[in-house]
Amino acid sequence: MLKEVHNCLLCQKPLQTQVSWLTFFERFPPIICADCEGKFELSADTDPDHRSLYQYNEPMKDFLHRYKFLYDVVLAKVFQRKLHDLLKNEKRIIVAVPMHPEKLLERTFSPVEELLNAAKISYTPLLEKTTTDTQSKKTREERLNTPQLFRTAGEVKAAHYVVFDDIYTTGTTIEHAKRALLEAGAKSVASVTLIRG
Amino acid sequence: MRTKKSSSFQKYKGFLLEPSIQNFFTGRIWARETTPFPKEKIDIYIKRGLLKIKPAIGEGPVCHRCLNKEKKQFIFYHCARCQKVCTYCRYCIQMGRMSSCTELLTWNGPLPKLNSYHSLVWKSRFTPLQEKVSIELTESIKQGRSHLVSAVCGAGKTEILFTAIHDALNEKKRVCVATPRTDVVLELAPRFAEVFPQTTVQALYGGAPQSCMYAPLIIATTHQLYRFEQAFDIMIVDEADAFPYTYDASLQQAVQKAKKEQAPIAFVTATPTSELLELKKTGGYSFIPSRYHGHPLPVPRFSSLWGYDKSIKKKRIPKKLKEWTEKRIAENEPFLIFFPTIELMQQAIPLFRQLDSKIEAVHAEDSDRKEKVLHLRNREIKGLLTTTILERGITIKNVQVAVVGAESKIFTASALIQISGRVGRNKDFPAGDIVFFHHGMTVEMDMAQEEIKRLNKEGFPSA
Repeated sequence: MLKEVHNCLLCQKPLQTQVSWLTFFERFPPIICADCEGKFELSADTDPDHRSLYQYNEPMKDFLHRYKFLYDVVLAKVFQRKLHDLLKNEKRIIVAVPMHPEKLLERTFSPVEELLNAAKISYTPLLEKTTTDTQSKKTREERLNTPQLFRTAGEVKAAHYVVFDDIYTTGTTIEHAKRALLEAGAKSVASVTLIRG
Repeated sequence: MRTKKSSSFQKYKGFLLEPSIQNFFTGRIWARETTPFPKEKIDIYIKRGLLKIKPAIGEGPVCHRCLNKEKKQFIFYHCARCQKVCTYCRYCIQMGRMSSCTELLTWNGPLPKLNSYHSLVWKSRFTPLQEKVSIELTESIKQGRSHLVSAVCGAGKTEILFTAIHDALNEKKRVCVATPRTDVVLELAPRFAEVFPQTTVQALYGGAPQSCMYAPLIIATTHQLYRFEQAFDIMIVDEADAFPYTYDASLQQAVQKAKKEQAPIAFVTATPTSELLELKKTGGYSFIPSRYHGHPLPVPRFSSLWGYDKSIKKKRIPKKLKEWTEKRIAENEPFLIFFPTIELMQQAIPLFRQLDSKIEAVHAEDSDRKEKVLHLRNREIKGLLTTTILERGITIKNVQVAVVGAESKIFTASALIQISGRVGRNKDFPAGDIVFFHHGMTVEMDMAQEEIKRLNKEGFPSA
């Protein structure tokens, strides 16, 4: 991930970049083309407790497939600028939703943490996953009746928190993460996801 | 039953090889994590030295599966499994990621027992020219010499391969027919299975069902060749220059890697590149300038269609194109209209549906592609709008063809020749209209027309 990208990371088309003085101040050089960028649908979420950047659609499904299932780690950069802008002024403590350590070994990277790393957003590891089950293989019914998925690791201060995850589908994962933090003494916990399913 | 123990068998005394594991791995190079067998079994085979391990990414870096060496296709990242920086290859990632901590397995045990009786059930309907080329090719293969078969679209190229393949199979050789397109694999595999009824024929393409049989005859997309190493005694590359997957460096390497070192390659194409024609000097060369039905190739005509894209954007089909389409509908002739881009085609499809509701559009990512082509073949729909995806390997009786925007870059001379080759393939309908609608002529259009005329001259010297 050290090299600059000159072709669109998603469709391989050469990137037309106009170099101007502003380029030198730009923290994140463009890495996907305008066509690919335009295919993602911004979310119209207005819920104050939960914010999603994008709405799930076909191109997003394709992105998730390539990123999470083909393990194309470099795609973490696709949303770096948008995520950076959303979270750069965040005053609350950001907690990334963790993976089970066994899963992490299997996958070789944490898709959720890599999104934040690419966006240069710092976060605090306060949660641990207690089970290797994945929500995506469960039915809605099963998800809603899941026993607590997380435990806290480290000291949870009486402060305000934001949990971050890649996708919000039924909300089970996010709810469990919030509850674990609140029970450990958090004052409030909001949530942010990249995608709203 | 084994009556005589071969020496290689004795080495593994007390351990019976599982045929499915032996059959599967022979010739393959496969990631340890994704084999179709239980992990414990694979571990035993590795321990006994029957499977060899090598890391997927070598020094350089180089990907040992696809042989990619292009620096910008490699990504360095912190790997949570190794707790260090690992490298993975993006070039072949669609087939499952190859990382420096991925282990590739190759077979290191005895070869499976091969059947030396394969029957060829096929009644030759060769023209004298096809017969001659078939003999030339068989002779080259026998001598282990590479061979180029250059034959016009509709010359009956597949049949020419039968005898050469049959001879090779009976000598216990392993043969691969590789082609760039999944559509062509799907069309060829059943034909081969039909003429070689006693032979295990495997079709390999992205998403194909997995089988653990040993197949002496494999029909595969060129990308699937990445999963083989030193596997084939004879390699046949069909449509050797197939656009847009030109026979590029990486696929050439894939062919070299998949075949045994001394194995000859037979290239079969309608539009040989100058590079392929070089083979004339070192290998065998055959040429068929006329179609199996003995009629000349339809020559494309040019027709100006100024500002067609603006007109389609304004929701109007240009007049000439509209008249052309209406004529096909009125005369009940199936038609294909090629578009330079998916976007333009999608803007056009509702306009065409106003002429007739039974018109469909296809492109590469269309999951109903096969069905739509079948509907056209069965005359359930009137016509198809398409991108270059249907430029080759498609045979539809009495089809009429138009290219919209023939001046576009995507329509190279070789693409235009292939597209023209869709017309007049059936002996009952040996002619048909092929028109290049354009916004200004290009060298490529001229080259395509000239080449078709030249071939007709060679095929019909008296005409």
